[in-house]
Amino acid sequence: MGNFQVWRDGTQVSTKEWGRDKTVQLFQFLLTARHRRALHKEQIADRIWEDLDTIDQTFKVALHGINKVLEPDRKSRTEPRYIQRQGITYQLNLKDIWLDVAAVEGLVRIGNEALLTHPSDAIIAYHKALNLYEGTYLPNRLYEDWSSAERERIQLLILNTYISLGELLLNDNPVETIRLAQQALLLDATWEEAYRLQMEAYLLKGNRPMAIKTFRQCEEVLAKEFGIAPLPETKALLKKIVERK
Amino acid sequence: MANKKEETASFVIRFTQKIFQSEAGEPQVQWRGNIRHVQGGEEKRFSEFDSAVEFIREKLADLTLVAMEDKTPEEQKGILAKSFDMWKKMALTAPQMVIETIKDPKKQIEQVQTQLTQAGENLTQKIEDTISQRLPIDEWRASSKSDYKNLVGLIEKLAKDMEDLNKKVDKLSKKK
Repeated sequence: MGNFQVWRDGTQVSTKEWGRDKTVQLFQFLLTARHRRALHKEQIADRIWEDLDTIDQTFKVALHGINKVLEPDRKSRTEPRYIQRQGITYQLNLKDIWLDVAAVEGLVRIGNEALLTHPSDAIIAYHKALNLYEGTYLPNRLYEDWSSAERERIQLLILNTYISLGELLLNDNPVETIRLAQQALLLDATWEEAYRLQMEAYLLKGNRPMAIKTFRQCEEVLAKEFGIAPLPETKALLKKIVERK
Repeated sequence: MANKKEETASFVIRFTQKIFQSEAGEPQVQWRGNIRHVQGGEEKRFSEFDSAVEFIREKLADLTLVAMEDKTPEEQKGILAKSFDMWKKMALTAPQMVIETIKDPKKQIEQVQTQLTQAGENLTQKIEDTISQRLPIDEWRASSKSDYKNLVGLIEKLAKDMEDLNKKVDKLSKKK
């Protein structure tokens, strides 16, 4: 998430070491497709280099490039550690790779499981997950469709985590809730829950003008983007804010 | 040949469902959507599915226009008309399909299954037609269970005949 970076035994792999972009592309695809079973060479190449005629050669060179970057000291004729090959299929050995996206998913899962029974643990897990989030998933592949589904999935995961953590912190730390709601709105300016959460937090802080201003922003964005009004729940909250003098 | 990427348009659509009670206390449902054209990066939000359909239509028309740059004006006109016809058919059925899925997901899955079965049957028919064109039907057919049964019967009969024959040979040998 954010800029693509690979660390090997504590040292960051430089752009120069990666060499050709197709090497990076293949590695990023394998990371993105990590939930799927082993993939055929043709399946992989067809998704990322559909316009290429020299798939075999390109795949071979790119795979060699990845193995060279990840295991520069590997002896010849020994099996690669990270890219596992079974016949004509390939997959990543996730046991030996730490991946920020996978770590975030794991932490959010812990948070969700603890949400009702151990909220303080959920707060820690959500905080850790959000601290790892450094931006859009593979931003340099924004226009390549093989990365789109994963990007969308992660964005929703992060969006919901901002809201869940904001709700948990509302009474004890409304200022942090406001910050989290604003972060959610940076990802999706039409996320109505984030406006509502922000309004509640401002109300708890006793800042009624900002709570009302937040409602107006929500109203304006929803009208502009969807041509609709805020939900009755949001309007009811506004009413509560206005009436509380 | 056109670059394959120029032949592809991908879209990511996000639907968010809002269920709430109206001021009169009636249960209401609202869908909010966001559609993104992957290759171009443009996005559009919608609360009516028709807006998403229109967005897709525009992007597909762009794709067709790019792919036709080297064609004559007559050819361009024909291809564009065909492309719009195809899209019109899809645009008319897709929103209905989404609406029906929202209303009754089970019914929609059944419809998709029926369509798949029909497609499978059509395909089987096509394969059969193709095969029958290559080989006269009276010269070739797939083996059936009864073919297998007949074959087993023949082998059993053959084995029995061999056994009888062996017995006769043994008898003759002893006489000698």
